[in-house]
Amino acid sequence: MENRLLINLIPGETFLHKLTGKTKVRTFIILLVFIIMSFDMRLILPLFILSIIGLRSLKPNWKTIKYFFIVIGAVNLLNIVLFWVADPDIGAYWCGGGHTVLFSLTGRIYLTAETLWYLSVRFIKMITSFMVSLVFILSITPSEMAAGLYSIKVPYKICTIFSIAFRYIPDIGRDFNNIKVSLQTRGVELDPKKASLKSRLKQNVLILVPLIITSFDRVGNISNAMDLRGYGREKTRTYYSEHEELKADKVFKVIYTLLLLFCVYWIITQNIMPQTFKMWYPFA
Amino acid sequence: MKKVLKTLLGVWNTKTVVAIAIGAALFGVLMNFGGIPVFTNTRLTTAMIVPVIVGSMFGPVPAFITCFVGNTIADLIGGWGFWFDWSVGNGVLGFIIGLLPFYGAKINEGIFKPVHAVIYAITCVVGNALAFGVITPLLTVAFYGGELTITFLQAFAGGLANTAVLVIIGIPILYALARRSARSTNLVMEEEKEE
Repeated sequence: MENRLLINLIPGETFLHKLTGKTKVRTFIILLVFIIMSFDMRLILPLFILSIIGLRSLKPNWKTIKYFFIVIGAVNLLNIVLFWVADPDIGAYWCGGGHTVLFSLTGRIYLTAETLWYLSVRFIKMITSFMVSLVFILSITPSEMAAGLYSIKVPYKICTIFSIAFRYIPDIGRDFNNIKVSLQTRGVELDPKKASLKSRLKQNVLILVPLIITSFDRVGNISNAMDLRGYGREKTRTYYSEHEELKADKVFKVIYTLLLLFCVYWIITQNIMPQTFKMWYPFA
Repeated sequence: MKKVLKTLLGVWNTKTVVAIAIGAALFGVLMNFGGIPVFTNTRLTTAMIVPVIVGSMFGPVPAFITCFVGNTIADLIGGWGFWFDWSVGNGVLGFIIGLLPFYGAKINEGIFKPVHAVIYAITCVVGNALAFGVITPLLTVAFYGGELTITFLQAFAGGLANTAVLVIIGIPILYALARRSARSTNLVMEEEKEE
């Protein structure tokens, strides 16, 4: 379980790692809005390329990441194929009514240029959304995330929920292993080679009950410790992980402010002014 | 009105914060490792037990936050990118599950009768229908555009699986929790009598 976790708890060394949590969280949220609002290849493709550069600059452990790329790629491709089978003419609605058949298998299943365009935009959009999240996840630590959320006026008790939850995930792994070992000493067979899949599933449920009980039993201890250290007395809070703004943070501030203004402009013009085409289509 | 709002929000002391955080962490981990896949992007997940516990002890809004943060954490450790449409859907489901005190099932005071179990089962079905049949598809369309058929299919499979987990595992857990707190409330009553 541990080797599949992507979150890093120690701040990294590269350029993106060194930004403040505030910059990371704000940029990420604005980029999410940007991806969600734009159904347009002209907007998504540059971000897609940027996210690839960002991912490379983080120097991640490619072995773990490769697994995620395969899973995400496969799931999204499957979804795209399902979309296409559900309605082969879906592109006509989005790309202004054109109907250029590229090839057809039967009367029901055919591929038009518009549908191909629509589906590829959709695919790139999904992959970009995944890439941006991945860059964000790899570049941030839980406490920086809490600090960043606090900087966008999220109540600090909710920020604390984020940082405690992340702190608690390795503990869950440890508890799980302890319970598993103690069940095994009592003769419950959990070895994948010796027990059948069905009985292993049942036994995993048996582990779950003590896992949940021990976790919630610890609530009292942790909250007492926090109360004793004066948690929740003041209205505001500062974060140890939040360092002084660097030069790069100031540059990012300008960029994300401009991007935010562009997003507002785009959403207003796209949703209020009447549009003839739903999507930018170069071959119309 | 003020009382309703208070039951809705729950008491926001340190204990609530820690319980929500641990609940969210459990939710996130169980979402990733404690599930059996049923359909693309959906699985029969044991994570649904968590909002039942948090909701019964702390109320609807804490349950909402547990599910929302929990799903975000699941996305973070799963590494498949953020799906806030599903996070909000799960949050709404948590909120509806957490409505227990509103129909008289006060778990903290040890009150959980068969009537409440029936109402709870109904709210589970309604909550899943609302969360994954209405809210998640709406948000999916708003965020990512496009076809609804797939989302509905996913939502249907996910909702069905969730309802099964919520009813089959949830009701015994609620009974157990109620029994546990009933013991402690009895103690208080006796002390008062002696005075």
